[in-house]
Amino acid sequence: MQACIETRQVSKIFGGLTAVNSVDLTVPEKSIASIIGPNGAGKTTLFNCISGYYKPEHGQILFYGSPIQGQQTFAVAALGIARTYQNIRLFGDMTAIENIMLGQYPRFSANWVDAILSTKRERNEEKQAIEEGRRLLKFVGLDGMGDTLARNLPYGAQRRLEIARALANQPRLLLLDEPTAGMNPQETDKMTHFIRSLRDTLGITILLIEHDMRVVMDISDQITVLDYGTKIAEGQPKDIQSNQRVIEAYLGPGGSTLTRKYQQRKKQRHDAKN
Amino acid sequence: MKTATRNGFQTGITFGVIVVTMFLIGFTVIGAALVAKIFGTSVSSGSIPPLPFFVIFISLVGLWNGATAARRPLTGADEFKPALVAGLLAGLVTGIFSAVVALVFGMLAANKIDVRTYLVAISPESIKMYLFGQDAVTGSLLSLVLLTVSSVAGSALAVTLRTNAKVRGFFQKAAESYTNAIHSERAIKLRNNPSARYAFLALVAAALIILPRTWGGYWNYVLGTVGIYIILGLGLNIITGWAGQLVIGYVAFFAVGAYTFALLTAPAPHHLMWNFWLALILGVLAAGISGLLIGLPILNLRGDYLAIVTLGAAEIVRILLKSDLMTPYTAGPRGIRDIGGPTLFGRSFTSDVDFMYLIIIAVLVVSFLAYRLQNSRTGKAWVAVNQDETVARATGINAYTSKLLALALSAAIAGLAGALFASRNQFTGPDDHQLMVAINVICLVIVGGIGNIPGVFLGAFALKGLPEVLREIENYRMLVFGILLIVMMRLRPEGFLPAKRPALEKNTPPSGQEA
Repeated sequence: MQACIETRQVSKIFGGLTAVNSVDLTVPEKSIASIIGPNGAGKTTLFNCISGYYKPEHGQILFYGSPIQGQQTFAVAALGIARTYQNIRLFGDMTAIENIMLGQYPRFSANWVDAILSTKRERNEEKQAIEEGRRLLKFVGLDGMGDTLARNLPYGAQRRLEIARALANQPRLLLLDEPTAGMNPQETDKMTHFIRSLRDTLGITILLIEHDMRVVMDISDQITVLDYGTKIAEGQPKDIQSNQRVIEAYLGPGGSTLTRKYQQRKKQRHDAKN
Repeated sequence: MKTATRNGFQTGITFGVIVVTMFLIGFTVIGAALVAKIFGTSVSSGSIPPLPFFVIFISLVGLWNGATAARRPLTGADEFKPALVAGLLAGLVTGIFSAVVALVFGMLAANKIDVRTYLVAISPESIKMYLFGQDAVTGSLLSLVLLTVSSVAGSALAVTLRTNAKVRGFFQKAAESYTNAIHSERAIKLRNNPSARYAFLALVAAALIILPRTWGGYWNYVLGTVGIYIILGLGLNIITGWAGQLVIGYVAFFAVGAYTFALLTAPAPHHLMWNFWLALILGVLAAGISGLLIGLPILNLRGDYLAIVTLGAAEIVRILLKSDLMTPYTAGPRGIRDIGGPTLFGRSFTSDVDFMYLIIIAVLVVSFLAYRLQNSRTGKAWVAVNQDETVARATGINAYTSKLLALALSAAIAGLAGALFASRNQFTGPDDHQLMVAINVICLVIVGGIGNIPGVFLGAFALKGLPEVLREIENYRMLVFGILLIVMMRLRPEGFLPAKRPALEKNTPPSGQEA
């Protein structure tokens, strides 16, 4: 299967701190991959390198085989990489549908002269953008709320609107930074479902950062674990669950022994019951 | 009762300070003169208006004081008594402030001490007026009584208007019938009826054609200035209102437009005598290019660098124009005279009516451009960059070129305003391009409603038109602007007419239907 996004020995250094240290990551097309790790592990920094906010000091980032590291953010976005943010970042003083229309920005080409002369291109594009906006509003379940200012929407709706804005550019890769943060279990389930449907129906490759292990284990085809900027494990959910280094990264040294004991006791109790 | 006392005290102190300040800066005389003007008695500037007008003015302040003191929340079902207490207290506090000042200045005047050495605005006559023509003690007591009585009356009036069922019913009914009239089927039909629309447009056009011919040279001059400021406001609105980049030295582009135009059309110092329209276009282009050049090195930075750089540019332009170095090229501090007026088919149009038409057309053209840009893809990108530049970049917007375009368009529009201004006055000099012009434009955009086209019109009329009508407060213009800005920030931070976003999910815009 073709790799959608690939990082080769990517390093990002802030002053004396190596936030991302020689990370190799390959995400096959149409898969759902997760990046997990304790706070400050460099997950969001890696995202920022991919989406072009940061220029990595070393290494290569390949999107469908062509290097994109060091390119301007808007150019990366135009290639078909869209993202959402840990703390929701919408254009708050614009309406929901306008946010989605802005998401479609790279797909259109009408410039200011078109706008002034109201050329056919301008009118057609505007019409298309509005129709697509309405369709996406319906897709994320926000129809009827399109003319509300984004900042006046409820929290869950803002999360979905952010994803709708990201989808508006018909991306091939979607970067989701903690999509279920601050959600209750029902909302989390819905969101998990929704993310999976994005991959299944639209065929988008999804790379996500997530802290909710239930979601990560449930949804991911592949998990990458970062700690202090370094990749410490990679593999399928069941491999990661029993990986000693991962457990120690989360619980501290000795954590794996503790976990083993806990699991043994659990098993004993289970056996005793039967 | 506790809230009432507190309200009364606070309001009393605030109004006490206001009354004393008004006296110290000589505004009591101006206020009385304004009242006199309302009653049809004209008072020449510098002289003291008749006493009754001063009494009315102070009473109005007192009424306002009482009404403010009687504001909500007041305790208890019966609002009348606490309101009166608040009004009485506010009046007493303000009155004491006023009385003390009156007493002090009355004594000073009685001892023949001229306070004008220290406070320019306080003439012996104005002190005499403040004491109602009496001696110091009687005058200050009168001041106390008048302020107290009027404040109690104000609170009583306010609370009556608020609680009286009849009065409230009247206002409710009026509001209801207004909304009904606006949302009634007939009104909607009328608004959507194309022929009604054309009739309305024809009416406006007729007014715009006929009025300049009838209202005379003075009004043409005043409203022409307002028109030029509308153009400037619409231009600044693009870069500051939509793209969110503060430009303080906007006058720099105004100067570039004015001087380019002037140098091309004037007999001295170069004797180029170009055609009006060609010079106008070149003025606009030169201003736009100057905007582009200023933006190139700084617009990829974030933050308020643009504000500082344009501030510097405005001063540099003005000082350069004045300097000996540039005198052979720009005629130096004397300025450029006999700048050309518009010509069409060999005829020249230079009367004030012609210029009014020209300015009206320019305002219409610029509003049209602004209106078209506002909700276009480009306009949305500007607002996106304004709200969150980081995210705007990640949605595929090139923030740098986007801001650059906004600045160039803004500058070009300022150039148009500058060229028209120079042509109308047939003169331009360095002193036409003081920083104050730019500050005025920023004020009018903020007061009108930042990011909103009708707001710019309102702001220009309020800040450039009103001061012309109220010549009395000429000396206090900056004070009034300052107070206005502070009040706006507190009460309506988005301006009188805040920008609104279009409802695109429900309604397809008219331009989209034809496609």
